[in-house]
Amino acid sequence: MFRIEPKKSEVVSFIVNGQLKEVILKGPNQTLAEVLRIKLDMTGTKESCQCGECGACTVLVEGEPVLSCSTLAIAVRGKRITTIEGLAEGGVLHPIQQAFIDSGASQCGFCTPGMILMAKVLLDENPEPTEDQIKEHLGGNLCRCTGYVKIIEAVQLAAKTMKSVGA
Amino acid sequence: MSSLHLKDFVYFEPTTTAEVTSLLAEHGAKARIMAGGIDLIPRMRAGSIKAEVVINIQKIPELSLFEYDPAKGFRFGAMVSLHTLDTCQELKKHFPIIQKAINQITSVQSKYMGTAVGNVCLATPASDVSPVLMVHDAELIIEGTQGVRTEKVADFYTAYYKTTLQQGEFVTGVSIPKVAEGTGAAFYNKVRTHADIAKITVAAVVNVQDGVFQDAKIALGAVAPVALRARSAEAVLQGQPISEELIQKAAEVAMNDGSPISDFRSNKEYRLDMIRVLVGRALNKAVNQAKGVQHV
Repeated sequence: MFRIEPKKSEVVSFIVNGQLKEVILKGPNQTLAEVLRIKLDMTGTKESCQCGECGACTVLVEGEPVLSCSTLAIAVRGKRITTIEGLAEGGVLHPIQQAFIDSGASQCGFCTPGMILMAKVLLDENPEPTEDQIKEHLGGNLCRCTGYVKIIEAVQLAAKTMKSVGA
Repeated sequence: MSSLHLKDFVYFEPTTTAEVTSLLAEHGAKARIMAGGIDLIPRMRAGSIKAEVVINIQKIPELSLFEYDPAKGFRFGAMVSLHTLDTCQELKKHFPIIQKAINQITSVQSKYMGTAVGNVCLATPASDVSPVLMVHDAELIIEGTQGVRTEKVADFYTAYYKTTLQQGEFVTGVSIPKVAEGTGAAFYNKVRTHADIAKITVAAVVNVQDGVFQDAKIALGAVAPVALRARSAEAVLQGQPISEELIQKAAEVAMNDGSPISDFRSNKEYRLDMIRVLVGRALNKAVNQAKGVQHV
Protein backbone atom coordinates (compact mmCIF):
# COMPACT_ATOMS: atom_id res chain seq x y z
CA MET A 1 0.00 0.00 0.00
CA PHE A 2 1.30 3.43 -0.93
CA ARG A 3 2.12 5.58 2.08
CA ILE A 4 4.16 8.67 2.88
CA GLU A 5 5.50 9.70 6.24
CA PRO A 6 5.68 13.35 7.30
CA LYS A 7 8.66 15.28 5.85
CA LYS A 8 9.78 12.27 3.82
CA SER A 9 10.92 13.20 0.32
CA GLU A 10 8.92 11.74 -2.49
CA VAL A 11 9.53 12.44 -6.16
CA VAL A 12 6.25 12.80 -8.00
CA SER A 13 5.33 13.94 -11.49
CA PHE A 14 2.40 15.70 -13.05
CA ILE A 15 1.56 16.55 -16.62
CA VAL A 16 0.97 20.25 -16.31
CA ASN A 17 -0.40 21.90 -19.43
CA GLY A 18 0.95 19.03 -21.51
CA GLN A 19 4.45 19.11 -20.02
CA LEU A 20 5.89 16.51 -17.69
CA LYS A 21 6.88 18.17 -14.40
CA GLU A 22 8.76 16.46 -11.59
CA VAL A 23 8.73 17.81 -8.09
CA ILE A 24 10.04 16.63 -4.75
CA LEU A 25 7.34 16.66 -2.10
CA LYS A 26 8.44 16.84 1.54
CA GLY A 27 5.74 14.72 3.10
CA PRO A 28 2.13 14.50 1.95
CA ASN A 29 0.87 17.78 3.42
CA GLN A 30 1.16 20.02 0.37
CA THR A 31 -1.83 21.11 -1.64
CA LEU A 32 -1.90 21.19 -5.40
CA ALA A 33 -2.16 24.99 -5.23
CA GLU A 34 1.05 25.19 -3.19
CA VAL A 35 2.92 22.87 -5.54
CA LEU A 36 1.82 24.86 -8.59
CA ARG A 37 2.58 28.25 -7.09
CA ILE A 38 5.68 27.55 -4.98
CA LYS A 39 7.40 24.50 -6.48
CA LEU A 40 6.55 25.15 -10.12
CA ASP A 41 6.42 28.94 -9.89
CA MET A 42 3.12 28.97 -11.77
CA THR A 43 1.40 31.80 -9.95
CA GLY A 44 -1.49 32.10 -12.37
CA THR A 45 -3.45 29.86 -10.01
CA LYS A 46 -4.66 32.07 -7.16
CA GLU A 47 -5.30 31.18 -3.55
CA SER A 48 -7.87 33.46 -2.02
CA CYS A 49 -10.06 31.99 0.72
CA GLN A 50 -8.06 28.76 1.19
CA CYS A 51 -11.19 26.98 2.35
CA GLY A 52 -12.98 25.92 -0.82
CA GLU A 53 -15.50 28.77 -0.85
CA CYS A 54 -14.29 31.15 -3.55
CA GLY A 55 -13.21 29.14 -6.60
CA ALA A 56 -10.14 31.30 -7.29
CA CYS A 57 -7.78 28.29 -7.09
CA THR A 58 -9.73 26.24 -9.65
CA VAL A 59 -7.62 24.09 -11.98
CA LEU A 60 -8.61 21.18 -14.19
CA VAL A 61 -7.49 17.66 -13.27
CA GLU A 62 -8.09 15.26 -16.16
CA GLY A 63 -10.41 17.96 -17.54
CA GLU A 64 -12.56 18.22 -14.41
CA PRO A 65 -12.62 21.35 -12.28
CA VAL A 66 -11.13 20.98 -8.81
CA LEU A 67 -10.23 23.40 -6.05
CA SER A 68 -6.46 23.14 -5.86
CA CYS A 69 -6.40 24.60 -2.31
CA SER A 70 -8.42 21.60 -1.10
CA THR A 71 -6.61 18.95 -3.15
CA LEU A 72 -3.57 17.10 -1.84
CA ALA A 73 -0.87 17.19 -4.52
CA ILE A 74 0.15 13.63 -3.68
CA ALA A 75 -3.38 12.40 -4.45
CA VAL A 76 -3.25 13.69 -8.05
CA ARG A 77 0.30 12.63 -8.91
CA GLY A 78 0.62 11.38 -12.48
CA LYS A 79 -2.50 13.24 -13.61
CA ARG A 80 -3.03 15.79 -16.37
CA ILE A 81 -3.45 19.24 -14.89
CA THR A 82 -4.55 22.34 -16.77
CA THR A 83 -3.91 25.75 -15.27
CA ILE A 84 -4.61 29.20 -16.64
CA GLU A 85 -1.03 29.25 -18.05
CA GLY A 86 -2.00 26.38 -20.35
CA LEU A 87 -4.79 28.11 -22.25
CA ALA A 88 -2.91 30.42 -24.60
CA GLU A 89 -1.37 28.72 -27.62
CA GLY A 90 1.74 30.04 -29.38
CA GLY A 91 1.39 33.41 -27.66
CA VAL A 92 -2.23 33.78 -28.78
CA LEU A 93 -4.76 34.09 -26.00
CA HIS A 94 -7.58 31.58 -25.75
CA PRO A 95 -10.89 33.10 -26.98
CA ILE A 96 -12.21 33.09 -23.41
CA GLN A 97 -9.18 35.05 -22.19
CA GLN A 98 -9.59 37.51 -25.06
CA ALA A 99 -13.30 37.87 -24.32
CA PHE A 100 -12.54 38.69 -20.66
CA ILE A 101 -10.26 41.51 -21.85
CA ASP A 102 -12.68 42.77 -24.48
CA SER A 103 -15.62 42.75 -22.06
CA GLY A 104 -13.71 44.38 -19.21
CA ALA A 105 -14.53 41.33 -17.11
CA SER A 106 -11.36 41.45 -15.05
CA GLN A 107 -10.69 44.17 -12.47
CA CYS A 108 -8.35 43.12 -9.66
CA GLY A 109 -7.91 39.87 -11.59
CA PHE A 110 -7.72 37.53 -8.63
CA CYS A 111 -10.85 35.54 -9.52
CA THR A 112 -10.15 35.62 -13.26
CA PRO A 113 -8.10 32.43 -13.72
CA GLY A 114 -10.73 30.37 -11.90
CA MET A 115 -13.56 32.06 -13.78
CA ILE A 116 -11.90 31.43 -17.15
CA LEU A 117 -11.18 27.77 -16.42
CA MET A 118 -14.77 27.24 -15.29
CA ALA A 119 -16.00 29.00 -18.43
CA LYS A 120 -13.83 26.61 -20.45
CA VAL A 121 -15.40 23.56 -18.78
CA LEU A 122 -18.84 24.97 -19.56
CA LEU A 123 -18.18 25.95 -23.19
CA ASP A 124 -16.39 22.69 -23.99
CA GLU A 125 -19.50 20.85 -22.86
CA ASN A 126 -22.17 23.30 -23.92
CA PRO A 127 -21.09 25.73 -26.68
CA GLU A 128 -24.27 27.82 -26.48
CA PRO A 129 -25.17 28.20 -22.81
CA THR A 130 -28.07 30.34 -21.66
CA GLU A 131 -27.43 33.19 -19.24
CA ASP A 132 -28.88 31.07 -16.41
CA GLN A 133 -26.60 28.17 -17.30
CA ILE A 134 -23.59 30.49 -17.17
CA LYS A 135 -24.65 31.86 -13.79
CA GLU A 136 -25.25 28.39 -12.43
CA HIS A 137 -21.92 27.11 -13.69
CA LEU A 138 -19.99 30.01 -12.13
CA GLY A 139 -21.91 29.65 -8.85
CA GLY A 140 -18.78 28.51 -7.01
CA ASN A 141 -16.60 31.40 -8.18
CA LEU A 142 -16.72 34.64 -6.25
CA CYS A 143 -15.79 38.04 -7.65
CA ARG A 144 -15.68 41.03 -5.32
CA CYS A 145 -15.11 43.66 -8.03
CA THR A 146 -17.24 43.31 -11.12
CA GLY A 147 -20.72 42.49 -9.88
CA TYR A 148 -20.54 39.55 -12.33
CA VAL A 149 -22.39 41.28 -15.20
CA LYS A 150 -19.28 41.73 -17.33
CA ILE A 151 -18.08 38.22 -16.53
CA ILE A 152 -21.33 36.76 -17.85
CA GLU A 153 -21.05 39.00 -20.91
CA ALA A 154 -17.49 37.77 -21.45
CA VAL A 155 -18.59 34.12 -21.41
CA GLN A 156 -21.36 34.96 -23.89
CA LEU A 157 -18.85 36.75 -26.13
CA ALA A 158 -16.41 33.84 -25.87
CA ALA A 159 -19.16 31.42 -26.85
CA LYS A 160 -19.80 33.51 -29.97
CA THR A 161 -16.13 33.73 -30.94
CA MET A 162 -15.48 30.07 -30.30
CA LYS A 163 -18.46 29.18 -32.45
CA SER A 164 -17.29 31.32 -35.38
CA VAL A 165 -13.69 30.10 -35.03
CA GLY A 166 -14.85 26.50 -34.81
CA ALA A 167 -17.17 26.88 -37.82
CA MET B 1 3.62 30.84 0.76
CA SER B 2 0.15 30.24 1.95
CA SER B 3 -0.71 31.66 5.32
CA LEU B 4 -2.11 28.39 6.60
CA HIS B 5 -0.11 25.27 5.90
CA LEU B 6 -1.38 21.77 6.52
CA LYS B 7 0.14 20.14 9.59
CA ASP B 8 2.05 16.87 9.31
CA PHE B 9 0.20 13.59 8.82
CA VAL B 10 0.87 10.11 7.52
CA TYR B 11 -0.80 9.49 4.18
CA PHE B 12 -2.16 6.12 3.07
CA GLU B 13 -3.56 5.12 -0.29
CA PRO B 14 -5.32 1.78 0.14
CA THR B 15 -6.68 -0.05 -2.90
CA THR B 16 -9.08 -2.35 -1.06
CA THR B 17 -11.77 -1.72 1.57
CA ALA B 18 -10.14 -4.32 3.84
CA GLU B 19 -6.98 -2.18 3.94
CA VAL B 20 -9.11 0.80 4.97
CA THR B 21 -10.80 -1.01 7.85
CA SER B 22 -7.52 -2.35 9.21
CA LEU B 23 -5.97 1.13 9.05
CA LEU B 24 -9.01 2.57 10.83
CA ALA B 25 -8.87 -0.16 13.45
CA GLU B 26 -5.19 0.51 14.04
CA HIS B 27 -5.27 4.31 14.16
CA GLY B 28 -8.73 4.98 15.59
CA ALA B 29 -9.74 8.58 16.12
CA LYS B 30 -6.37 9.87 14.88
CA ALA B 31 -7.27 8.74 11.35
CA ARG B 32 -9.55 10.45 8.87
CA ILE B 33 -10.97 9.16 5.63
CA MET B 34 -10.48 11.40 2.62
CA ALA B 35 -13.03 11.01 -0.17
CA GLY B 36 -13.28 14.27 -2.15
CA GLY B 37 -11.38 16.18 0.54
CA ILE B 38 -13.62 19.19 0.02
CA ASP B 39 -14.53 19.38 3.71
CA LEU B 40 -11.59 17.57 5.29
CA ILE B 41 -8.65 19.49 3.83
CA PRO B 42 -9.94 23.03 4.60
CA ARG B 43 -10.87 21.96 8.12
CA MET B 44 -7.48 20.32 8.70
CA ARG B 45 -5.86 23.49 7.46
CA ALA B 46 -7.98 25.63 9.75
CA GLY B 47 -7.12 23.34 12.66
CA SER B 48 -10.68 22.30 13.49
CA ILE B 49 -9.79 18.72 12.51
CA LYS B 50 -6.54 17.28 13.76
CA ALA B 51 -5.75 14.21 11.67
CA GLU B 52 -2.49 12.37 12.21
CA VAL B 53 -3.40 9.83 9.55
CA VAL B 54 -5.20 10.53 6.27
CA ILE B 55 -6.64 7.58 4.39
CA ASN B 56 -7.36 8.43 0.77
CA ILE B 57 -10.11 6.13 -0.54
CA GLN B 58 -10.02 7.52 -4.11
CA LYS B 59 -7.98 4.60 -5.44
CA ILE B 60 -10.44 1.85 -4.50
CA PRO B 61 -12.16 1.04 -7.80
CA GLU B 62 -15.34 -0.54 -6.40
CA LEU B 63 -16.22 2.64 -4.48
CA SER B 64 -16.79 4.50 -7.77
CA LEU B 65 -19.47 2.10 -9.01
CA PHE B 66 -23.12 3.03 -9.32
CA GLU B 67 -26.00 1.15 -10.85
CA TYR B 68 -29.75 1.32 -11.23
CA ASP B 69 -31.60 -1.98 -11.17
CA PRO B 70 -35.34 -1.57 -11.94
CA ALA B 71 -36.12 -4.50 -9.64
CA LYS B 72 -34.06 -3.32 -6.68
CA GLY B 73 -33.27 0.35 -6.94
CA PHE B 74 -30.16 2.51 -6.98
CA ARG B 75 -26.78 1.78 -5.44
CA PHE B 76 -23.73 3.95 -5.43
CA GLY B 77 -20.29 3.77 -3.85
CA ALA B 78 -18.63 6.17 -1.46
CA MET B 79 -16.47 7.73 -4.20
CA VAL B 80 -19.36 8.55 -6.55
CA SER B 81 -19.28 12.32 -6.89
CA LEU B 82 -22.22 14.64 -6.43
CA HIS B 83 -21.64 15.68 -10.05
CA THR B 84 -22.01 12.08 -11.26
CA LEU B 85 -25.28 11.75 -9.35
CA ASP B 86 -26.41 15.16 -10.57
CA THR B 87 -26.01 14.11 -14.21
CA CYS B 88 -27.38 10.56 -13.85
CA GLN B 89 -30.54 10.24 -15.93
CA GLU B 90 -31.94 7.29 -13.97
CA LEU B 91 -31.57 9.12 -10.70
CA LYS B 92 -33.32 12.12 -12.24
CA LYS B 93 -36.19 9.96 -13.43
CA HIS B 94 -36.75 7.85 -10.32
CA PHE B 95 -35.43 10.01 -7.46
CA PRO B 96 -35.76 13.63 -8.60
CA ILE B 97 -35.64 15.10 -5.08
CA ILE B 98 -32.16 13.64 -4.58
CA GLN B 99 -30.92 15.71 -7.49
CA LYS B 100 -32.86 18.69 -6.22
CA ALA B 101 -31.06 18.40 -2.89
CA ILE B 102 -27.67 18.03 -4.57
CA ASN B 103 -28.37 21.14 -6.58
CA GLN B 104 -28.64 23.20 -3.42
CA ILE B 105 -24.83 23.09 -3.56
CA THR B 106 -23.97 26.03 -5.78
CA SER B 107 -20.26 25.35 -6.29
CA VAL B 108 -19.80 23.20 -9.39
CA GLN B 109 -16.25 22.38 -8.27
CA SER B 110 -17.58 21.09 -4.95
CA LYS B 111 -19.97 18.80 -6.82
CA TYR B 112 -17.14 17.42 -8.95
CA MET B 113 -14.94 16.80 -5.90
CA GLY B 114 -17.50 16.07 -3.21
CA THR B 115 -19.40 12.83 -2.67
CA ALA B 116 -22.90 12.11 -1.37
CA VAL B 117 -21.46 9.65 1.15
CA GLY B 118 -19.02 12.31 2.35
CA ASN B 119 -21.93 14.69 2.80
CA VAL B 120 -23.85 12.10 4.84
CA CYS B 121 -20.81 11.12 6.95
CA LEU B 122 -20.03 14.73 7.77
CA ALA B 123 -23.16 14.45 9.95
CA THR B 124 -24.06 18.10 9.78
CA PRO B 125 -27.69 18.71 10.80
CA ALA B 126 -27.96 21.11 7.84
CA SER B 127 -27.30 18.53 5.11
CA ASP B 128 -29.80 18.73 2.27
CA VAL B 129 -28.74 15.30 1.05
CA SER B 130 -29.43 13.33 4.27
CA PRO B 131 -33.17 14.21 4.50
CA VAL B 132 -33.90 13.14 0.91
CA LEU B 133 -32.05 9.86 1.43
CA MET B 134 -34.01 9.33 4.67
CA VAL B 135 -37.42 9.71 3.04
CA HIS B 136 -36.35 7.32 0.28
CA ASP B 137 -35.50 4.81 3.04
CA ALA B 138 -31.87 4.68 1.91
CA GLU B 139 -29.43 2.37 3.65
CA LEU B 140 -25.75 2.87 4.20
CA ILE B 141 -23.43 -0.04 3.56
CA ILE B 142 -20.88 -0.02 6.36
CA GLU B 143 -17.74 -2.10 6.35
CA GLY B 144 -15.66 -2.84 9.41
CA THR B 145 -13.05 -5.31 10.52
CA GLN B 146 -15.89 -7.57 11.70
CA GLY B 147 -17.67 -7.54 8.33
CA VAL B 148 -20.37 -5.62 6.55
CA ARG B 149 -23.54 -4.19 8.09
CA THR B 150 -26.24 -1.89 6.83
CA GLU B 151 -27.93 0.99 8.54
CA LYS B 152 -30.76 3.27 7.49
CA VAL B 153 -29.60 6.85 6.98
CA ALA B 154 -32.48 7.76 9.30
CA ASP B 155 -30.84 5.77 12.14
CA PHE B 156 -27.25 6.84 11.42
CA TYR B 157 -27.06 10.02 13.48
CA THR B 158 -26.81 9.82 17.25
CA ALA B 159 -26.01 13.42 18.22
CA TYR B 160 -24.68 16.67 16.79
CA TYR B 161 -21.97 15.62 14.28
CA LYS B 162 -22.04 12.07 15.70
CA THR B 163 -22.88 8.80 13.94
CA THR B 164 -23.15 5.12 14.83
CA LEU B 165 -19.81 4.37 13.12
CA GLN B 166 -17.54 2.33 15.38
CA GLN B 167 -13.76 2.20 15.33
CA GLY B 168 -12.61 0.38 12.21
CA GLU B 169 -15.81 1.11 10.28
CA PHE B 170 -16.48 3.27 7.25
CA VAL B 171 -19.34 3.77 4.82
CA THR B 172 -18.65 2.15 1.46
CA GLY B 173 -21.91 3.00 -0.29
CA VAL B 174 -25.61 3.68 -0.28
CA SER B 175 -28.53 1.64 -1.50
CA ILE B 176 -31.90 3.21 -2.21
CA PRO B 177 -34.88 0.88 -2.71
CA LYS B 178 -36.90 1.25 -5.90
CA VAL B 179 -39.90 3.52 -5.77
CA ALA B 180 -43.30 1.77 -5.68
CA GLU B 181 -46.14 2.83 -7.96
CA GLY B 182 -48.32 5.53 -6.51
CA THR B 183 -45.39 7.31 -4.89
CA GLY B 184 -44.77 11.05 -4.83
CA ALA B 185 -41.85 13.06 -3.47
CA ALA B 186 -41.13 16.68 -2.60
CA PHE B 187 -38.20 18.74 -1.29
CA TYR B 188 -38.18 22.27 0.08
CA ASN B 189 -35.66 24.35 1.95
CA LYS B 190 -35.16 27.93 3.07
CA VAL B 191 -31.83 29.66 2.64
CA ARG B 192 -30.48 33.18 3.19
CA THR B 193 -28.56 33.05 -0.07
CA HIS B 194 -28.02 30.08 -2.33
CA ALA B 195 -24.35 29.88 -1.41
CA ASP B 196 -25.24 29.37 2.26
CA ILE B 197 -26.40 26.23 4.05
CA ALA B 198 -30.12 25.81 4.72
CA LYS B 199 -31.91 27.27 7.72
CA ILE B 200 -34.51 24.52 7.30
CA THR B 201 -34.89 21.57 4.95
CA VAL B 202 -38.01 19.42 4.51
CA ALA B 203 -38.34 16.29 2.38
CA ALA B 204 -41.38 14.03 2.01
CA VAL B 205 -42.17 10.79 0.18
CA VAL B 206 -45.72 9.42 0.23
CA ASN B 207 -47.32 6.35 -1.21
CA VAL B 208 -50.99 6.71 -2.05
CA GLN B 209 -53.35 3.78 -2.64
CA ASP B 210 -57.10 4.37 -3.15
CA GLY B 211 -57.01 7.79 -1.53
CA VAL B 212 -55.23 6.53 1.58
CA PHE B 213 -51.71 7.24 2.86
CA GLN B 214 -50.25 3.77 2.44
CA ASP B 215 -46.93 5.17 3.58
CA ALA B 216 -45.58 8.59 4.45
CA LYS B 217 -42.01 9.56 5.27
CA ILE B 218 -41.03 13.07 6.29
CA ALA B 219 -37.50 14.25 7.11
CA LEU B 220 -36.24 17.53 8.53
CA GLY B 221 -32.84 19.21 8.29
CA ALA B 222 -31.31 22.12 10.21
CA VAL B 223 -34.03 22.14 12.89
CA ALA B 224 -32.47 19.71 15.40
CA PRO B 225 -28.95 18.57 16.41
CA VAL B 226 -29.21 15.97 13.65
CA ALA B 227 -31.16 15.58 10.41
CA LEU B 228 -34.07 13.33 11.33
CA ARG B 229 -37.38 11.72 10.39
CA ALA B 230 -40.52 13.46 11.66
CA ARG B 231 -41.90 10.23 13.09
CA SER B 232 -44.84 11.63 15.03
CA ALA B 233 -46.07 13.54 11.97
CA GLU B 234 -45.70 10.38 9.86
CA ALA B 235 -47.81 8.45 12.41
CA VAL B 236 -50.66 10.93 11.96
CA LEU B 237 -50.83 10.08 8.25
CA GLN B 238 -50.19 6.34 8.22
CA GLY B 239 -53.18 4.41 6.81
CA GLN B 240 -55.49 7.44 6.93
CA PRO B 241 -57.67 8.80 4.10
CA ILE B 242 -56.02 11.80 2.48
CA SER B 243 -57.52 15.19 3.30
CA GLU B 244 -56.25 18.73 3.60
CA GLU B 245 -57.22 18.71 7.30
CA LEU B 246 -55.14 15.60 7.94
CA ILE B 247 -52.15 17.07 6.11
CA GLN B 248 -52.39 20.27 8.16
CA LYS B 249 -52.65 18.25 11.36
CA ALA B 250 -49.51 16.29 10.43
CA ALA B 251 -47.73 19.55 9.57
CA GLU B 252 -48.55 20.95 13.03
CA VAL B 253 -47.47 17.74 14.77
CA ALA B 254 -44.18 17.86 12.83
CA MET B 255 -43.28 21.00 14.80
CA ASN B 256 -42.83 18.70 17.83
CA ASP B 257 -40.38 16.54 15.89
CA GLY B 258 -37.93 19.42 15.51
CA SER B 259 -36.06 21.27 18.24
CA PRO B 260 -34.58 24.25 16.42
CA ILE B 261 -32.22 26.84 17.86
CA SER B 262 -31.95 30.54 17.14
CA ASP B 263 -28.77 31.59 15.37
CA PHE B 264 -27.63 34.16 12.84
CA ARG B 265 -29.42 32.32 10.02
CA SER B 266 -32.86 32.33 11.60
CA ASN B 267 -34.65 32.12 14.92
CA LYS B 268 -36.34 29.27 16.68
CA GLU B 269 -39.88 30.60 16.24
CA TYR B 270 -39.50 31.10 12.50
CA ARG B 271 -37.93 27.68 12.01
CA LEU B 272 -40.75 26.02 13.96
CA ASP B 273 -43.40 27.77 11.91
CA MET B 274 -41.57 26.90 8.70
CA ILE B 275 -41.63 23.22 9.70
CA ARG B 276 -45.43 23.50 9.68
CA VAL B 277 -45.57 25.46 6.42
CA LEU B 278 -43.04 23.40 4.47
CA VAL B 279 -44.24 20.00 5.71
CA GLY B 280 -47.78 20.93 4.63
CA ARG B 281 -46.51 22.14 1.29
CA ALA B 282 -44.28 19.09 0.74
CA LEU B 283 -47.06 16.63 1.61
CA ASN B 284 -49.51 18.32 -0.75
CA LYS B 285 -46.99 18.33 -3.56
CA ALA B 286 -46.01 14.70 -2.96
CA VAL B 287 -49.67 13.63 -2.84
CA ASN B 288 -50.46 15.41 -6.10
CA GLN B 289 -47.48 13.80 -7.72
CA ALA B 290 -48.43 10.36 -6.41
CA LYS B 291 -51.94 10.75 -7.81
CA GLY B 292 -50.89 12.21 -11.14
CA VAL B 293 -47.84 10.17 -11.97
CA GLN B 294 -47.73 6.39 -11.91
CA HIS B 295 -44.02 6.18 -11.44
CA VAL B 296 -42.10 9.09 -10.04
